[in-house]
Amino acid sequence: MRAVRMRRERAVRRWKIAAATAAVALLAAGCGSSSGSGSGGGSSNAPVTLTIWHNYGTEQNATALVNLAKAFHKLHPNITVNVVSQPASNYFALLQAKAISRNGPDLAVMWTGLFTLQYKGFLQNLKGLVPASALAQIDPNALKWTSDGFNAANGPYVIPLENQFYIGFYNKADFAKAGVTSVPTDWSQLYAACTKLKKAGFTPLVYGNGGQPLGATFYPWYDMSYMMIGTYSVSQWLGLYSGSIPWTSPAISAQLAKWNELHTSGCTNPDVVTNTNNLGQFESGKAAMMVDGTWDTQKFTSALGSKVAAFIPPYSSTPIKGVVDFAGDGLSMMSYSPHKAQAAEFLTFMTTKQAAAIINAAGLIPAIVGTSTSNPVNQQMLNFVSQDGMTAYPMLDNVVQGNIVNIGSKFLPSVLGGSESIAKALQAMQTTLQQLPANQRGNTFP
Amino acid sequence: MAGASAPAAAAPSAPSAPSAPAAPASRWQSARFRRRVTASVIFAVMIVVAVVMLYPFWYMSDNSFRNQAQFDQQRGHSLAGWTGLFRDLPVVQELVSSTVVCVAAIAIILIVATTAGFAFAKLRYRGSGLVFLLIVAAMMVPLQSIIIPEYVNLARFNLTSNYTGAVLVYAALGAPFATFLMATYYRGISDELIEAAVMDGLSYERTFLRIALPLSLPAIATVTVLQFIQIWDDLLVGYLFLPTNDRTITVGLAVLSSGRTTGIPPLMAGSLLSAIPAIIVYLIFQRYLIRGLTLGMGK
Amino acid sequence: MSLSAAQPVRRPGRSRLARRRRLAGLLLSVPAILLVAALLWAPIVQAIRYSMTTWNGYSAPVWIGPSAYTSALSDPILHRVLENNALLLLAVPVAIGIPLIIAVLLHEHVRGWRFFRSVYFLPTAISWVVIGMVALQFFAANGMLNQFLADVGLGSVHTDMLASEYTALAALAITFIWSMIGTNTIIFLTGMATLDPTLIEAARVDGLNRWQIFWRVTLPLLTRFIQFAFVITVISAFSALFSLIFVMTGGGPGLGTTTLEFFVYQAGFAQGQFGTGALYGIILFVIMIVVGIGQLRLIRPEDGEGW
Repeated sequence: MRAVRMRRERAVRRWKIAAATAAVALLAAGCGSSSGSGSGGGSSNAPVTLTIWHNYGTEQNATALVNLAKAFHKLHPNITVNVVSQPASNYFALLQAKAISRNGPDLAVMWTGLFTLQYKGFLQNLKGLVPASALAQIDPNALKWTSDGFNAANGPYVIPLENQFYIGFYNKADFAKAGVTSVPTDWSQLYAACTKLKKAGFTPLVYGNGGQPLGATFYPWYDMSYMMIGTYSVSQWLGLYSGSIPWTSPAISAQLAKWNELHTSGCTNPDVVTNTNNLGQFESGKAAMMVDGTWDTQKFTSALGSKVAAFIPPYSSTPIKGVVDFAGDGLSMMSYSPHKAQAAEFLTFMTTKQAAAIINAAGLIPAIVGTSTSNPVNQQMLNFVSQDGMTAYPMLDNVVQGNIVNIGSKFLPSVLGGSESIAKALQAMQTTLQQLPANQRGNTFP
Repeated sequence: MAGASAPAAAAPSAPSAPSAPAAPASRWQSARFRRRVTASVIFAVMIVVAVVMLYPFWYMSDNSFRNQAQFDQQRGHSLAGWTGLFRDLPVVQELVSSTVVCVAAIAIILIVATTAGFAFAKLRYRGSGLVFLLIVAAMMVPLQSIIIPEYVNLARFNLTSNYTGAVLVYAALGAPFATFLMATYYRGISDELIEAAVMDGLSYERTFLRIALPLSLPAIATVTVLQFIQIWDDLLVGYLFLPTNDRTITVGLAVLSSGRTTGIPPLMAGSLLSAIPAIIVYLIFQRYLIRGLTLGMGK
Repeated sequence: MSLSAAQPVRRPGRSRLARRRRLAGLLLSVPAILLVAALLWAPIVQAIRYSMTTWNGYSAPVWIGPSAYTSALSDPILHRVLENNALLLLAVPVAIGIPLIIAVLLHEHVRGWRFFRSVYFLPTAISWVVIGMVALQFFAANGMLNQFLADVGLGSVHTDMLASEYTALAALAITFIWSMIGTNTIIFLTGMATLDPTLIEAARVDGLNRWQIFWRVTLPLLTRFIQFAFVITVISAFSALFSLIFVMTGGGPGLGTTTLEFFVYQAGFAQGQFGTGALYGIILFVIMIVVGIGQLRLIRPEDGEGW
């Protein structure tokens, strides 16, 4: 009995010690590190630390940003730039949370279009902070999408990092082997090319969820953008936003039907929704075509060299006339930043030729007027606009409401795969649009 | 009050009964044979289940020793996953952060849950049933719906600039579950034991500390292991409430799946590394589980 | 089960001892009450307020009022989402039954039970991201499930489970059940540790076979723990499953795997509409309370001393 009691007492003592240790740990944690973005900035020569947040992971955009930070620091030795990588998921929720507690970064990556306008409550309008001469260096087509009402005169909220394209890539060697002599420019030519490529043993057009952050299916808005390019003009796209062109329109249905036919006719791989290796299949040459974006251009040119080229997804019954050329993201200044002057200097630096060279070296297309890109496939895309007279369209998912983008992302891949009906998908999008409050589907962009 | 020592003559489940080579020889043999077959079948099934359970570990280990190209092709090995992990993330710092946060939160949870669990199980007072129900009902609060008001509240008290906010939130999230489990366990302790101690002159609080608490080690071990894993693997709270320098490893790993592609091998390496502390905690407390069992059974 | 009724143990108002007991009870439950009230109930009440507003988190909320609920509840998309939650609840009994059997087997010290016990628990230590990834590979069109089917001669039953709505939900449920086995097995093992072995022995002496012992003696004694496991599993099905959905399907295809908690997350975090998110969150909370109370009434312990 006594032995038991002693054992119990020892056990209790052990717990008391554990509890005390834990309490000390808690206290230590409480007095632990606190974050902060460096000392307050007074004169522009006092040492200052700028914090920049991005959600680029370890990709080319991240490389570009890090190199920009290094170059900027050389020019302004008193300003240390701290580039922090944030997870892509919930990135915007994190920014919103930091806006609530007002202790976040000075600059942060922000997507353009409606994303900017959605979050502008905590973004600093850069009119007056970044000199007009610097703003004039930026491709005007890029800058307008970051301002109120998409009118650049209202002052931008975001300085774009790069010009992006949603674009198709194709393998020239595969085309030659299959006897496809010209790049298709409409649906029927696309089907014809598919037939030839399939006969030659290639996957004509590959889809999958590689090239997406973990957990997503393939992003249908590249294709959706081109289907809408094949149906409507740029100005008509406002109708998609306001609802004057409902998502259930017959024209849209017809386009989706043609798109779905790609799958049923064997133009695509059968497992469009669950294929995880689409990038690998294109890079190895097994797949002849792929719809993707400029963030993967360098990856493709490294893997395929001169065999890869760009083409415009020909989702139209008449020869396609537009291309998605849009500065999808850039840096914005937080309205609560204590270092606005220094942050503005960094943003100004982003508009210089030196910055453009750094951005180009990372395999991206600078959004600065008068610069070019050294990657030939990227240059090909720029030529679509400058030489071939293609109309520049924005990214559809940046100019329709976020709720629509979300619901579309869930239904449209299955429309291609055939497990969801077109009517159901479009009706879901239309219902979502109608549920939105009136101020989110007005007749002008906000 | 069973007289358990009655020699069961033909008890079918007596394992080491001396085999009587007497009359029903074939029936005996078939019963034992049947038992052995059943045991073998059960054992085989358990092995299969074990393989199914262990497969993800093999998947993680195998793929952590590749680079991205080798992962896509599923052939070839290298150290790229591991070097990439340590290059892209401050792994050690994040592991330390995770540990601090877990230890602190679990300490609070245990203090809160053992005391309240005992109170609700043994020390009923007016309204204690309702209060208990309210605490357990709080388990049903979905994290995503309260996390924003929670953040607003804690930001107002400036608790989001260090570990404190996250620790408090984790403690609050785990407390109802832990209290429920402790109360369930304390219910199983006989009232006589408590009353006897009180008759002996101990206060109720002392009784809790010296008698009930040591008896509940299995439940404490269970709470610790389960809460450790839950807190260690949490993403959302750590992401929002912890400043970047104090990140946990789970949030850190999420950075690897940013941008447009995910570097899978470093993610696998990191996930494997992150799983190890939880396994260690389990293996440690597994022994306490057994020790606690003998303590509890030794009346 | 009840011993001699000589001493009325818990007659209220029985003088100083009872008062000391009540006071001690109050004192010991204060820390829990404070923590839960401040950090769980307060935000819920605030969320109720925010649910009737349009709010993006940092600007001032714009009041809508209770009509926010009526319009949300009549949304057919919400109905489809709730259907998913209801279907997933069907997985809960399976997620309890399998661990129960495993716990019984382990408790009876099958050969190597210690090893199995540890091994079955290990998956609990893996993050949901990894589990989701592995599951993705498993259910893929050229993944292990189809390879296995082909190996056993069922090659014609080729599946692409994650590509259509209801099969994706089934795949999710299977993965969920798999991941709950560890936790629930431990809970039941803990419960079985509290069982009085003399009762089992007595039953055995009385001539009951294994199955009858399990059904008539063990199971009723474990009722409290089954109750507990039920609550934990339902809560996990509603909350932890979110991470799986996030990694495996993103809520798709279509609305096939969009459960209510994923819907809450999407509204609040992906779309920045915290008012809407709070609204769906309150609906989710109410549903879970109802389910929780419902199961507490369903599974009553034998001695009538249920919660």
